[in-house]
Amino acid sequence: MVCAQRRNVTDYVTQVMPEIEQINKKPEKIGKWLSYNLKLYPPTLPGEPDRPAYVCHEKKFLKYSPKKLWYIACFVRGMSIDEALKQLDFINRKGAAFVKETLLEAQELAVEKHNVEFKSNLWIAESNSFKGPVVKGLRRHARMRFGVVEYRYSNYYVRLEEGKPPENYYGRPSREREVLLNEWLDKIKSRKITHSL
Amino acid sequence: MFVCKTVGKLTCGRAPVSGPLSSSVGSVRTTIAKHYNPNFKKLRGQKFIKIDLPDYKELAGGSEGMSTEEMKSRLKERGLLPDRYWPERPFFILSTSMVFEPYVPPEGDGKVSIVTAQGAKQKLELVEKKGRSMLALRKIRNYEEDFSLKVFPDEAQEIYQKAHEAMVNKNRDDLPKYVTEKAYPEVLSNIGDKTIVWEFLGSIEPPRVVHIRCTDVVTKENIFAQITVRFHSQQRLAVYDRFGRLMHGDENLAKDVLEYVVFERPLAHKYGRWRIHDKIIPDWMPPKEPSLKTYVANDEIQDEPEPPSDVAVAPTSPPDKDERTPALATA
Repeated sequence: MVCAQRRNVTDYVTQVMPEIEQINKKPEKIGKWLSYNLKLYPPTLPGEPDRPAYVCHEKKFLKYSPKKLWYIACFVRGMSIDEALKQLDFINRKGAAFVKETLLEAQELAVEKHNVEFKSNLWIAESNSFKGPVVKGLRRHARMRFGVVEYRYSNYYVRLEEGKPPENYYGRPSREREVLLNEWLDKIKSRKITHSL
Repeated sequence: MFVCKTVGKLTCGRAPVSGPLSSSVGSVRTTIAKHYNPNFKKLRGQKFIKIDLPDYKELAGGSEGMSTEEMKSRLKERGLLPDRYWPERPFFILSTSMVFEPYVPPEGDGKVSIVTAQGAKQKLELVEKKGRSMLALRKIRNYEEDFSLKVFPDEAQEIYQKAHEAMVNKNRDDLPKYVTEKAYPEVLSNIGDKTIVWEFLGSIEPPRVVHIRCTDVVTKENIFAQITVRFHSQQRLAVYDRFGRLMHGDENLAKDVLEYVVFERPLAHKYGRWRIHDKIIPDWMPPKEPSLKTYVANDEIQDEPEPPSDVAVAPTSPPDKDERTPALATA
């Protein structure tokens, strides 16, 4: 509120104002994930670092198992956008194509609508797959019995953030030569040899 | 994670994806988990009872991105009639869609000496225009008896300030009180995800009326008046994007602003009020300060070939009667 008074903005809004409704068009309904794109942040004070831009995007009702899609969602998480697009070309899974398409769409949105200058300067901050609707079908068994077949759909959600990806997103143990050598040396030095001198 | 179980025989094949997705799956699969005896595959497949899977994308997204042919076949399938084409266009009877006989600000803000040829010509034009303005003023007084040119500039300045405050605060309900239907979408365009900091510091010169015009629309009694007011003031402006990063201007920098603002009022309307209708930007005005934000140049736009020179340029249509009888504001 102090900030708002200083800036001569009497009633500060935290939501992006929707565009003037076009004639004969209903306003689009959006889910919670996309509503993060409507959040409006107050101006940064002098001396404060700039907030990185981000864009949330989703792709719904993919005819693919959410469990299978999850592997690909985890795979691209924490990568830079260029790296992810490059790597996804070499994954022989249907889900890789869905994810790639979503990333490309999100990248375009970021540049066009969310004030991102360079389209390569983005990384995948969040990426997840969830369950969509499940349609049940039948499969014949012997002796007049039936088995239920589940046709699953999945939803894919992604958030791209401006900037460079973190060095070690998943906190995996370091593979650097120096670190490995020191670890090994420590292990050797601290071992206990029974009945030795 | 992505290693498939190897089967005895290595066969080459593509990932089983068809349609628009196939192009993005580029590499070749070297291991395939297939049954060694394909004889019964078809019979096993027949055990499944075929069902039509619902297209959720279509259910959620509607008919967007569907061609007319597709739409027709889809409607035929379901035995539905297409929607009736309803060409309805709202129009507002309380404002016009344009500025009629717009004011042309004199070069260099009218500071040329009268002794020079250019200055003398300017002065002559000014006197001529002033006569028409006085006629229009008399017409305004027919409807609004206590209209005074001395009081109006101050009123205009208040409307000007209130309109800007409503815009800064994104007060869409208050804005129509100070802005006509023509200016409303122009004021609101592109400010949805921005934070604007604006302050009116004061006038350098008192605002003054420079131009008055009246015109009738459709019927003779339906008269609209437009008054152009010259504002020379000091203002502060800063525009921040959705993430609060500075896009344009400076919050601590006061700048001199010279503006010609057109106010409009439907005189025949009993409860009509003066509202901002447009701004006049003269040709001699120095170009606007560019935005702080930079863009990556779009190669496609730059490399666009120039149109061949032998194509005849269509002659511009002569100014028709629209200038005299402006249409009502349309959306």
